[in-house]
Amino acid sequence: MTMIETSALGRRYGGDWALRNCTLTVPDDHLVALVGPNGAGKTTLLNIAVGLTPPTEGSISVLGGVPVGSPTALDRIAFVAQDMPLYRNLSVADMLHMTRNLNHDFDVAYARRRLDDVAIGQGHRIGKLSGGQRAQLALTLALARHPRLLVLDEPTASLDPVARHDFMATVVTAMTDDGVSVILSSHALAELERVADYLVLLTGGAVRLNGVVDDLLQQHLLVTGPAGSPVDPRWHVVESREAGSQRILLVWVDAPGASLPEHWEARTVGVEELALAYLRESPGYARPVAVEATR
Amino acid sequence: MTMSVVTGTSTTTPRPVPWHRLAWVAWRHYRTTLLATAALLAVVAGFLVARGYQMRDAYAAVQACTPHASASCGFAFSQFHDTYANTGPLGALFVWLPAVIGAFAGAPLLARELESGTFRYAWTQGAGRTRWMVCLTVAGALGVAALAAAFGQLVAWYEHPLVASGIQERLHASVFPVTGVVVVGWALAAFAIGVFVGLLARRVLAALALTLAAWTGLAFLAGSVFRDRYAAPLVTSDQQMGLTDLPVDQWWTKGGVRATDAQINQVLQAIGLQTDGGGNFRAGPGSSAIDPVQYLLQHGYTQLTSYQPDSRYWPFQWIEFGWLTVVSVLLLAASIWLLRRRPA
Repeated sequence: MTMIETSALGRRYGGDWALRNCTLTVPDDHLVALVGPNGAGKTTLLNIAVGLTPPTEGSISVLGGVPVGSPTALDRIAFVAQDMPLYRNLSVADMLHMTRNLNHDFDVAYARRRLDDVAIGQGHRIGKLSGGQRAQLALTLALARHPRLLVLDEPTASLDPVARHDFMATVVTAMTDDGVSVILSSHALAELERVADYLVLLTGGAVRLNGVVDDLLQQHLLVTGPAGSPVDPRWHVVESREAGSQRILLVWVDAPGASLPEHWEARTVGVEELALAYLRESPGYARPVAVEATR
Repeated sequence: MTMSVVTGTSTTTPRPVPWHRLAWVAWRHYRTTLLATAALLAVVAGFLVARGYQMRDAYAAVQACTPHASASCGFAFSQFHDTYANTGPLGALFVWLPAVIGAFAGAPLLARELESGTFRYAWTQGAGRTRWMVCLTVAGALGVAALAAAFGQLVAWYEHPLVASGIQERLHASVFPVTGVVVVGWALAAFAIGVFVGLLARRVLAALALTLAAWTGLAFLAGSVFRDRYAAPLVTSDQQMGLTDLPVDQWWTKGGVRATDAQINQVLQAIGLQTDGGGNFRAGPGSSAIDPVQYLLQHGYTQLTSYQPDSRYWPFQWIEFGWLTVVSVLLLAASIWLLRRRPA
């Protein structure tokens, strides 16, 4: 089943396209990382997927063909928006009760147990919680709905490293225990490396890279050879740079595991390295020349 | 993958979240506003009840006065009149209270969600935004209507001796919009304007200010323009118009032609009366014996008064309540319609 399927999806705000010609298929049972620079359209795509924003053009369906924003989609998709918006004047207990009353199924026992685990007292006012606690509360409210798909928009952006780690650990646990599919947007590439198994890279409102992380890592190599030597025709250069007498390429290869030409060395790449290469080479990205020269 | 997940992926549409569950959400949403408004009304009620009983005692004393036509009884009545007739700044406050009741419930309803970003939580829950909106709108409107009706009853009770003694007309702008069913209409209008403006303004304070301004403008229009057009004022030449009827205008005619103020002034100055320009006559020195009204009547002039009879109170109440309710429902429907299409 596909979690999210879009076709030529676009959203315009005034005269500017926040997302354009986005065609994407995301299978379920993955932790999907949606990465891209600020303004790439990540939040717009997620807002469309949870039914908050209607698209200007194109089509989108979720959960294998369900229209976004439909009762079925609302019932089975839980969304935690950026900065965890919750009612600050409510107590934790009231917030739990409100979420229970706004949903068809809400696992109160599960929510209470989880809040006890992270030591959040139910009498506290939400406005008085720390950023990490608020994130845990928002996540708890979402998970206690036992959603089919959990959508997280920049969930860790405002968290300190410890809270960030705890948050992601909870997400991964929920995935393995409850079989929840997760799609989360982030620009913290390093932390995605450990948890995400599916990568969607969005720049300038369009999809640049889309696939299972292991496959992507297998298909890409960082090759180093003498400057000026020709590029193997089986390589599709993603990023190219010269360092002294060396030429360093990040390439997409047709046949992983094939032998290398003479004088070239290859090594595998990490998620962060791969994503960065695509982000740098995407149209509209202004390469910082001074930094490049010192590499 | 566990069994619960497998069943969770079936494509049947889930049953909608029941209304009684959403009712709790509405209760929690309005609780603080309701308590604050109730506290404000309690203070006003305390004042009105205390002064109302005081006034009733004073009125009973005036009524018990015998003989009724005596000078001392006349003096007692005029003292009662001077003490209780003029509500002063209080009257203005009362006229505004329905707006306060409605606006403080309506304006933050959507503006606060949009301002704080919590709409991203509220509108992505299983209930969906339309059901959420309908529930909160209906609950808010009912609450506002109930509070306004209670306030209207209280004002009507307070004003009763003044109305009964002919001091205050029921159709007067300081009584009419805060009694009967119209007080509910005005509070609902403030609520609906608040909801609609809140959706457009997206800021609580701005929405509140704009709502009160728009409401005041509408109330002013209703009082100065609309209300006299529900039915044309009656015209009488009778000098003894009913005390409870609301006078609208007064003028002199001679031979069926309306006499201007300047003409009247000329006639009266000719016999030594001075006018203050506002239609009030004063006797000049040495001519105090002449009653200007009697003088004009004796010289072929007729005084005409247009007025709204007291019997039109309830028809006017229902007319005004009717259009206010229509406007409110239209505004709330427009808000829900816009909300369904609104990009986040």
